Amino acid sequence: MVTKDAAITIEKLSKRYGAGQKFAVKDLSLQVMPGEVYGFLGPNGAGKSTTIRLMMNFIFPSGGRASILGKDAVKDSVEVKRQVGYLAGEIALYQKMTGRQLLDYLSQLHPGSRRYISELAERFQADLDARIRDLSKGNRQKIGLIQAFMHKPKVLILDEPTSGLDPLMQEEFFGLLKETTKTGGSVFFSSHNLAEVQRICDRIGFIREGELIAEQTIADIAQAAARTFDITFIDKAPAADLRAISGASVSVKNGRQATVGLRGDLSPLFKVLAKHKVASITQRELNLEDEFMHLYKGDGQ
Amino acid sequence: MRPLLAGTLQQRRRSIIWWSVGVSAFILLTLIFYPTIHSQSDQLNKSLGHLSQTTKQLFTDTGDLFSPLGYLSSQLFYLMLPLLLSVLAISLGTSLIGREERDSTIELLLSRPVSRTRYLLAKAAAGTLIVAAVGLISTIVTIIICKAVDLEVPAPDILAAGAAVILLSLSLGALAFFVAALGRAGRSASIGIASVYGLGGYIIYSLSQSIDWLKGPAKLFPFSYYHASELLTGSYNWLNALFFVALALFFTLLAWLVFRRRDLLGS
Repeated sequence: MVTKDAAITIEKLSKRYGAGQKFAVKDLSLQVMPGEVYGFLGPNGAGKSTTIRLMMNFIFPSGGRASILGKDAVKDSVEVKRQVGYLAGEIALYQKMTGRQLLDYLSQLHPGSRRYISELAERFQADLDARIRDLSKGNRQKIGLIQAFMHKPKVLILDEPTSGLDPLMQEEFFGLLKETTKTGGSVFFSSHNLAEVQRICDRIGFIREGELIAEQTIADIAQAAARTFDITFIDKAPAADLRAISGASVSVKNGRQATVGLRGDLSPLFKVLAKHKVASITQRELNLEDEFMHLYKGDGQ
Repeated sequence: MRPLLAGTLQQRRRSIIWWSVGVSAFILLTLIFYPTIHSQSDQLNKSLGHLSQTTKQLFTDTGDLFSPLGYLSSQLFYLMLPLLLSVLAISLGTSLIGREERDSTIELLLSRPVSRTRYLLAKAAAGTLIVAAVGLISTIVTIIICKAVDLEVPAPDILAAGAAVILLSLSLGALAFFVAALGRAGRSASIGIASVYGLGGYIIYSLSQSIDWLKGPAKLFPFSYYHASELLTGSYNWLNALFFVALALFFTLLAWLVFRRRDLLGS
């Protein structure tokens, strides 16, 4: 169901680069709410960057539409960009300029966006006086982040934003995202880094071959995820009873130690355990990566 | 539009300086030997007398290579200056949008509240200003050197010829701008198409002075509307220059029509 007050609304968005060619994005629909960080995950070539380029009106849709803060991404593109901060996956900057010259130039194209530059440069410890061609990838990424945040946008569209940043700067970046969402800002965030997605996103969309195959909150994923338990029995592990649980994967070591993987309802496992003497039971930490791979390989539909 | 225009001019400042220096040096080397050549003009005219009209037409439209007017036209304004300035205009037309798109810096600019129309107009204006600046500097250098070597052609006529060269070059630059605006295929073809149109026009126009049936087709090319000798004698009909202006505006309009509704190339 489409909610009217969403920060980003994508409805049946499709992109095909030529007649007869495969769809790069097909019938994609999603919404990002104010104050939400939406993680957009998928393997290379899945359609993540195409979706972002459609939202930024760098390319035109073959069907459907995207709107940001109620404005159409194509027809109201200029208005949309007043409110959007954008960081490309492979950011291209003017190599001969210094960071300061570049940010000055960009702020002239967006009046009123200059005053926040110094604060951001300080937070990211960015060297604004060196020529961009002389900067490392991480330092160039800092300039990229400053230009995305410098006008305090209401919506951030970020393609692999932490690429090249050291852990300290990643923390700074996550802090900045929190500040943005606290004031009602929204973030659309594409990433390969599952650990950071797990940490900062409220909701995740998985895209594969141009189609959104799953969309869940982190809490839902955790709930539906396969959980793995390491169980030590006082006596011999009841392997046959454990294997009889529908959907359980069981391996037994040393006769007394069993590892049980189970998705969904856990009560059948506990019914079996109640009949036996258990020395210890530990649950392994949720592995989002396994969940991602589960969807990625196509067995999650 | 102003920041984009200023930004583009700033990025191109070195190339503007080097083009101005290069063209001025060429003009200096061409004109500085005029006193020596002029003193031998009778002998030189005799020795070149056997050349056919068609061959002469490829170098000059005055029929005289060594009078002040003939020398300035044949050595500079008939071919070389239009050629040099057209090379500049065509390379700008190809690269002003094309290079930014290839480097993906265009996305940085268009992620700001900047419409594609504003972006394209700023690039077109920057190209026009650069060609006009190099053309004007070249014309002023020509006037100064003509004075220094007693090459007696009135300064206002040289200025008029310089203005016509600028307009001619801009019409070819606009063609390259339009072809480059088409995208990936256009970018690689733009230099070739604009050069063939420009140089082809020069050859066809020159041959049309001797071959009657080429007179009609020659009218399709801008060079037919550029008459160096008339410009340098103050007898040029400036309605001819409307062709350059119309062509430049037409190709810029076409560039806008295709660029505003096409996908930017990916990084």
